[in-house]
Amino acid sequence: MLGNKWVVFAVAIIVWLGVFYFIDKSIMETQGLPVRTNLMPK
Amino acid sequence: MKISHLIALLTVAIALFAPDLVLAATDEAARVLEGAPKPSRLDYPVIAGISARKLAWSMAQMHLFLAAFVLAVPLFAIATEFMSVVTGDDRFDDMAREFMKITMAAYSLTALVGGGLLLSLLVFYPHLMGYMIKVFRGQMLIYALLFGLESITLYIYFYSWDALRRGNRKWYHMSIGLVLNTVGLTLMFIANAWTSFMMSPAGIDPSGAITGTVWEATRNPLWNPLNLHRFLANIAYGGAIVGGYAAYMFLAEKDPVKKAHYDWMGYTSNFIAILGFLPLPFAGYWLMAEIYAYSQQMGITAMGGILAWLFIIQAVLIGTIMLAANYYLWSGLMRTDRGAEYAKYVKYIAVVIVGGFLVWVTPHTLILTANEIQNLGGTHHKILGPLGIMPAKNTAVNLMLVFTFMSFQLFYRSSRIPVVSWAKSGNMIVVALYVVGITNIVGAGLYGYITPTVYKVGASVPQVVSTLTIIIGSVILDVFMLRGAKSEKVHWGRMTERSQYALFVLPVAFTWLMGLMGYIRSSLRTNWHIYTVMKDNSPENYIPSLRDAGNTITAITLGFMAIMVFVFWLSRLGKTIQKGTTAQEDAT
Repeated sequence: MLGNKWVVFAVAIIVWLGVFYFIDKSIMETQGLPVRTNLMPK
Repeated sequence: MKISHLIALLTVAIALFAPDLVLAATDEAARVLEGAPKPSRLDYPVIAGISARKLAWSMAQMHLFLAAFVLAVPLFAIATEFMSVVTGDDRFDDMAREFMKITMAAYSLTALVGGGLLLSLLVFYPHLMGYMIKVFRGQMLIYALLFGLESITLYIYFYSWDALRRGNRKWYHMSIGLVLNTVGLTLMFIANAWTSFMMSPAGIDPSGAITGTVWEATRNPLWNPLNLHRFLANIAYGGAIVGGYAAYMFLAEKDPVKKAHYDWMGYTSNFIAILGFLPLPFAGYWLMAEIYAYSQQMGITAMGGILAWLFIIQAVLIGTIMLAANYYLWSGLMRTDRGAEYAKYVKYIAVVIVGGFLVWVTPHTLILTANEIQNLGGTHHKILGPLGIMPAKNTAVNLMLVFTFMSFQLFYRSSRIPVVSWAKSGNMIVVALYVVGITNIVGAGLYGYITPTVYKVGASVPQVVSTLTIIIGSVILDVFMLRGAKSEKVHWGRMTERSQYALFVLPVAFTWLMGLMGYIRSSLRTNWHIYTVMKDNSPENYIPSLRDAGNTITAITLGFMAIMVFVFWLSRLGKTIQKGTTAQEDAT
């Protein structure tokens, strides 16, 4: 047992969020599509 | 290492890694600097009012169905055989052999229909075939040679099963299977080169004069996307067909032991079909992206022109496959005593699968009368309209795939109780993976609505990767978490008869789907035999109406299903022993 299962769940959510953010960011940037840019027409 | 072995290895390495060296070097003299032929309408033979296009279409489609099946089954037969060696469980070996037995019955039919296709093309499209032979030259002879080699290895592989069953001999047997599969795949790659050359010709100039080598014509822009797409589709298709066979046998058998065997075979076949099917949409996206990259006109004809409506039918068929496969998996929960514990989740999965299905079939542009447009207040429905564009459909299909995988995972877990101390925490890590992954898929879909088109298209890639991450991550975690797990008995054969009809739905829907998508792919050339190079001037050089196309595809599908029922019946006939005669050992 690694501790309270809900603590593990919370930590896992944070870790997976980091993993998926990294995946999304690297895929979009590889395609030449930088994230966090202002996409609204000027 | 002997010097002869070294030379053989070197030759294989060069052929694999630098095929240009092998295939292109001696081709210079074969250049034909005249353009592609320009046959007039009178150059196309008209014989007894036969529709040349429908004949060639039916033959080509039927050949492809059979070829896809006989190519795929040996692939997973050898994988199943390998499983028997690894696990020491003879049941895998018996099942692999039974897979091959169905292939044997279909193999001669494949060759027969292939011969029919060749004849119909030579008779009705002699100029096209003459030109194709000039472009691909010796490769056509190599194809014939490989076909012969495949026949030989197929027969040896099947008939030597018992003679090479144990010890080192088993490895010889699997080596024969490996040669068989290598030859089979090479045959498919060659045939794909001819097909894709007609869509995206290479190695020729704009007039059709041959300026390049056979290899240049072979590796045309759409060759590899088509190779991958067909490879995966064949696995899924082969799995679905043998699943249909297992269901047929399950329903026909009365003996509980045999029923259990065919239930297990049906489950494995369904697993193979879904395994091939899960990555298929992504291979399809790649193929479509390459089609757009090669010719925007071609892409628009497919997705935005007359053929676009067929993609709605495609969505219906894929939705049917998903529903049938999931229904079968949910029914399978009754095989284990703990299955009922997991059954409560089924309703949630069903909501997602049905919801995804409905989103997928929602068209973007509706065919409406003036009255309907007035009542609707425009050509698009205010609420459902946004579901017609790709971000919604990408989200739907990815969620359907994730939840189909979940159905598999539930069944797998229902027969295993983890014994590791961190099982509860491990479960939480898996649940968190699903939660974040699904949120990411939905988020990327919504992102597509608030960003320009280029971002919208780009965001579909993280969705795919999220789906694969959930699947691969869950499998890895389960492998560790269920290490040494306490196994519960799986009551193979404890299945309803109606669940077997889901296994019949799969091959029918797959066959229909392949006929439909094959028609779309081929029609992209519009009135060209070879796109932008050789015009089709035959009387039937137009895209048929959707009704005509639908009827033809359905007729071909029904014809193929009739052949399959015949093949299944033949396989069962081979096992039937006349009453009153001496019982013999089953020789098949």
